[in-house]
Amino acid sequence: MSKINERLKKLHTIALVVALAVFLLVVVYEIHNLDNNSKRYLSEHYISEGVRETGAINLVTSVLYDYRAFDTLGEATVILTAAAILSLLVPVSKATMLGTKFSIIVYQTTKFSIPFLAVLGVHLIFFGHLSPGGGFVGGVVLSIIPILLTITYGVEFSESKLKPAKKKLVEDIGAIGFILLGLLGVVTGSNFLANGQANFGPGNTGELISAGLIPYLNVMIGIKVGAGLAIIFNSLIKEK
Amino acid sequence: MVIPYVVVIILFSLGIYTVISKKNLIKMVIGFTIVESSLILLLILIGYKPSGTAPILDRQYEIVVDPIPQALALTTIIIGGSVTAVMLALVIKIYKRYGTLNVDELRKLRG
Repeated sequence: MSKINERLKKLHTIALVVALAVFLLVVVYEIHNLDNNSKRYLSEHYISEGVRETGAINLVTSVLYDYRAFDTLGEATVILTAAAILSLLVPVSKATMLGTKFSIIVYQTTKFSIPFLAVLGVHLIFFGHLSPGGGFVGGVVLSIIPILLTITYGVEFSESKLKPAKKKLVEDIGAIGFILLGLLGVVTGSNFLANGQANFGPGNTGELISAGLIPYLNVMIGIKVGAGLAIIFNSLIKEK
Repeated sequence: MVIPYVVVIILFSLGIYTVISKKNLIKMVIGFTIVESSLILLLILIGYKPSGTAPILDRQYEIVVDPIPQALALTTIIIGGSVTAVMLALVIKIYKRYGTLNVDELRKLRG
């Protein structure tokens, strides 16, 4: 009897999911048809005028750090909140971890790859307005360094090299620096987080120092995301 | 241009099925991440134009894909990662307190 009941329950679940899929099919069909008929004025404007208005070649960066920089501030706040919640939920101050001994190949490969990871992350951050990349991606690559140290050498070694208080300080510097750079726009008589409107000197497009505040905002977001993800990973892996 | 949308729907339905049918909490978290990745794929598909290049204008390009959905996809990835981390921390807390990850057993316990 219970077996039949269980089967019926499973059938019920599958029927629900199939009904949801049919509903989604209708919705997505509408989205698909929307493409052909309507013209997208906003994105057309960004594509035709974005480079001139912001000075950044990478249009995704110009959307993230100029047109919709307030959204980016919200994103950064989400990461800060997640790191704060994790350190509240898992408040282990003494770090220990069940570790396994790896062979020497793993240790040597980790040592060998860390400088390359650092260079790659910094390059992604600094060239965020010129090439694919940006603060978020570069920050994630930088946060791989403490994660690799934690996985191979154990959490004690990782936390003795990069102290949690220092990581928190770096994250706070990133968050406060982003807001201070945004306030620069207010000081010059424009909006909060304004960059193209406030005319911070777009420079020659295509050079490293160009696009006004965007490279500095990228640096702030990069160090913030890197430190935040490192804090999140270490607080998840710690145990008593 | 229809097949990618079907893939989005299949991924979304698979994720929802995982969330509502599995008993293990970690598998439910995995289901949430599957749903999230299907939505990222949908955002990228909305911005796609046939034979368009990436929105990095170092030369004059004829057709450039829409940059706004890509920026929104970045937002989705960041927030999804943070939410997954918080969910996993709550799962760790639940396991430490009750000693089980099974939803049915958790429901039988009081408190």
